Amino acid sequence: MAQRDPAYRRYIARFIPLAIFYLASVMLATWLLPDDAPINALLIGLGLMTGLAVAGWIWTFARLLIELEDEFLKLLEVRKMIVATGFILLITSMWGILELYSPAIPKLPVFFVFPLWCLGLALGQLYNRITMGTGGGPC
Amino acid sequence: MKNRLKVLRAERDWSQQDLADQLGVSRQSVNAIEKGRYDPSLPLAFKIADVFELAIEAIFERN
Repeated sequence: MAQRDPAYRRYIARFIPLAIFYLASVMLATWLLPDDAPINALLIGLGLMTGLAVAGWIWTFARLLIELEDEFLKLLEVRKMIVATGFILLITSMWGILELYSPAIPKLPVFFVFPLWCLGLALGQLYNRITMGTGGGPC
Repeated sequence: MKNRLKVLRAERDWSQQDLADQLGVSRQSVNAIEKGRYDPSLPLAFKIADVFELAIEAIFERN
């Protein structure tokens, strides 16, 4: 299995605490901030916390690409990221035009860009499975 | 790119995992190369040739 590669084990070991940190920051924001929160240290701090978690997550992906020695597995990961990036650019560009010109279209909060990118990774894994016979490592 | 990996492996009674272990790659890599879904880099092609003790062109051929 692809997960046997030690690079994947290191990726998961880095990913789990970052995912917990990300979810904690989102839950804290939901719990502590009202919908009309004033700009204060708490709001900025929670925003920074979420940003740091995402930055850490991207760093774990970068480390995975550096540490994977198997060139085919590396290709699968790159393909997943390209599909995810294409997916998020397509969705936000399309939705952006719709919400820019029609008041009937609800605004898409920028917050959803990262979760949608992660959904794109899952789509990339599916694309790999269909075209290459295997999905690659964990999303 | 076509290749004779499956035949050469069968002649030696090696599983995909056996070959993958000798090459230091994943079984998925061997499977993808065998099925023609992935063309290996030149260093990996040389490693495959070394494992089978054959020249690269005796394993891989142009489409």
